[in-house]
Amino acid sequence: MTESLFAQTVATATGLLMLTAVLQVWRRSTDASTKLLAIQGAALALLVGAIGLAEGHAELVLIAFVVLAFKAVALPWALARTIERSGIHREDSPAVNPVSGLLAAAGLATLAYAVSRPLVALDTGPAAHAVPAGLTLVLVGFLVLLTRHRAVSQVIGFLVIDNGIATVAFLTAGGVPLVVELGVLLDVVLVVFILRILSARLELAHGEVDLHDLRELHD
Amino acid sequence: MTLTDLGLLGQPLLAVLAFAAAVAVTDQRRSAVAGTLNAALGLAIALTGIGALLGQPGTLTLGSPIPGIGLLSLAPDRLGGIFLIVVGLVGALSAWFGVGYAHGASATRAAWAAYPIFVWGMAIVPGAGDAVTFLLGWELMALGSTVLLLSEHASRPQVRSAVLWYAAMTHLSFVLLLAGFAVLVGHAGGASWAAIAAQPPTGASASLAFALLAGGFATKAGLVPVHVWLPRAHPEAPSHVSAPMSAAMVKLGVYGLLLLCTRLLPEGPHWWGIGLLLLGGASAVYGILQASVTSDLKRLLAYSTTENLGLMVTGLAVAMLLRTAGQRAVADVALVAVILLVVSHAAFKTVLFLGAGSILHATGERDLDRLGGLARLMPRTATATSIAALAAAALPISSGFVAEWVLLQSLVHGDTRGPGADRVIAIALPITVSLVALTAGLALLTFVKVVGIAFLARARSESAGAAHESPATMTVPLLVGAGLVVALGLVPGWVASGAAYAVGASGVEQVGLGGVALPAVTALLDPVALVLMAVALAVPVAVVTARAARRAPRRTVDLPWGCGGVRVDPMMQYTATSYAEPLVRVFDDALQPTRDLDVTHTTESRYLVRAVAFRQRMVDQVERGLYQPVLGVLEAVGDVGRRAQNGSIQRYLGFSFTALVVVLLVVTW
Repeated sequence: MTESLFAQTVATATGLLMLTAVLQVWRRSTDASTKLLAIQGAALALLVGAIGLAEGHAELVLIAFVVLAFKAVALPWALARTIERSGIHREDSPAVNPVSGLLAAAGLATLAYAVSRPLVALDTGPAAHAVPAGLTLVLVGFLVLLTRHRAVSQVIGFLVIDNGIATVAFLTAGGVPLVVELGVLLDVVLVVFILRILSARLELAHGEVDLHDLRELHD
Repeated sequence: MTLTDLGLLGQPLLAVLAFAAAVAVTDQRRSAVAGTLNAALGLAIALTGIGALLGQPGTLTLGSPIPGIGLLSLAPDRLGGIFLIVVGLVGALSAWFGVGYAHGASATRAAWAAYPIFVWGMAIVPGAGDAVTFLLGWELMALGSTVLLLSEHASRPQVRSAVLWYAAMTHLSFVLLLAGFAVLVGHAGGASWAAIAAQPPTGASASLAFALLAGGFATKAGLVPVHVWLPRAHPEAPSHVSAPMSAAMVKLGVYGLLLLCTRLLPEGPHWWGIGLLLLGGASAVYGILQASVTSDLKRLLAYSTTENLGLMVTGLAVAMLLRTAGQRAVADVALVAVILLVVSHAAFKTVLFLGAGSILHATGERDLDRLGGLARLMPRTATATSIAALAAAALPISSGFVAEWVLLQSLVHGDTRGPGADRVIAIALPITVSLVALTAGLALLTFVKVVGIAFLARARSESAGAAHESPATMTVPLLVGAGLVVALGLVPGWVASGAAYAVGASGVEQVGLGGVALPAVTALLDPVALVLMAVALAVPVAVVTARAARRAPRRTVDLPWGCGGVRVDPMMQYTATSYAEPLVRVFDDALQPTRDLDVTHTTESRYLVRAVAFRQRMVDQVERGLYQPVLGVLEAVGDVGRRAQNGSIQRYLGFSFTALVVVLLVVTW
């Protein structure tokens, strides 16, 4: 892989990551959110694969395929099934309207770029320039968590945060060991399953899955 | 392998066994099996203590997953040995009593599983060789006792409030200790006692460490003004738990103070001793004053604990003052008095609390005003409790007498005028003597009340009249404990020598048949000889009286006419409240009781009284003056804080998100 091709690939992947994250804030359809999540997973796998090929790590390429399998296929598929079964295809009444959401996302991206300046300065390679993208993903994922009420949207927000963390880890540390990556993936899968079970139970108890209902648990 | 090593190894094994038995054994046999194993644990602790007191070295260390930080490092010294013996014997007697006593909620799996944690935690504290182990034991002890205290929460709502008070105060104590040890360890660069003693801090940081640690230990010891948990927790715990709490656990506060003042920071300015003297004196007088006017038996015993702990701290403070003034010999006597008070109080308070448990078991009552006449129905409980009450009132041939005698010897023989005296001692010693004397007088009244009202006269309620003696598993430990009280009183020489050995004091000798001599203050006490002398005096008097009585025939006098009423009714007897009435009047300003008098008249005429109801309530004035305002402020803050929480996940997420963004902004700036 040539130097320029590597730079192009990294730029494309990070751009896709950022775009999908920001679109999450904009779109209210849960089906669309799931598709965006799949694209984001694929972009992350592309990023990992590119780094692996450029640095000649076979292990990283393997991880890229694992990431692709889990984040671009398995988890979005599981989410799609949940949406299918619950029949909730739209996130209703978000806490902020799409325009303010997009503005907030822009502000958060600015903050991410401002914060990661010292990190970028450490390395001149194209990979380092993508670090702010990872941080943006974390912050935007948090924003999704904050503004959505449906359990499914919460899972999506959580997965965006996780993608952000993975991006930063791959870009700054030149990849994480296979064992650690597998462990993190397992955690994520567990969380998704727990949330799926939780939302199923909530639906049984209340007829729908709105986190506002959890307020009744307050003493 | 020394006895100490063996004991240290046996303790955790027995604790684990007792824990496992509590969890595994069925309900019917749990108390028997777990109680026996806990008693064995107590004996193992006592054996360890004997080994340590004899000077046999012994260590037990456990590593932790974190390299460089040990989890447990036990190396009891002689002072720790005395306290291990106390903890072990109290634990053994109480667990043995628990075999017959624990039932229902206090014999559940959780309660018996917490018991070994509590007892072993109490053994770790005096055995600890460094500050980390000490704090670990301190917390284990707090954890175990809290679970045990909670055991009867379902049937009595006041248990919950007692647990809240106890948990809050015990954590206060822990936080103070943590901060105090942090100062010491930070200065010494090592957590072991030897390292701290080798490089003690000086000046302001030494005073800070002393104030923090003394505050923490005083809270555990139940001294005024941090005694508030004690009169709540002790009555609400099951009796086989209140006994070790009162007789052993609070004693570890005194152990901490002794460790601090004799080993870690032996050289301190004058005000340390004065501060401790104020704490101790106030606790002694306030504790016994509250005890003397209380009619709840277990609450009375709890306040009496505050009094006794106050006396111990008074002794320690006097020793510190005398040592600073260069009167080492008398200071040593005061230190020996502290240990004797510890041992004596442990023995008699165990019997008193277990006796209260036996009464509670038989009658379901712990209000003295509803007891009476139990001496006939429960002879063994009555005997044991009366002997312990003798000691609590510091009367001869009991352990309490010896201990207070030694304390008074050190107080009256301290040089207040000679070259070794300074102004503080000249003022402090005479005042302390009078305080101790006042305390002894009030203690006498208090325990005359306990024995007289509970055991003598006639039953004041149906449940007291229907009482029955408790089973042997309960009365035998009681009698064994009472035997210890008498033994300590009759042959105190052994214990006094051991105490002198433990605190490194000279000038205590054994004389005669186990008597104790204090050459430093030219005093001597030989109880066995005194008893023999008393018998020699009493026998002729008894013979003469018997002969005289034989000459005069016995006459019985019957009341010719009772004005239509019954001559004596149980209602006409003195009650605990009426017995204490003169005291309440004398100390009216200090106690500030609230009294209600309701007089109901007959409907026919308002000059005829149908019924009179009298109610008197004592509120702890320290609690009302000091704690209520603080609690009020805390509650107001809590209410404001509650508004920030509405149970919405989004809001909680928002808190973390805001925190993250703010931190990032600050970092970027």
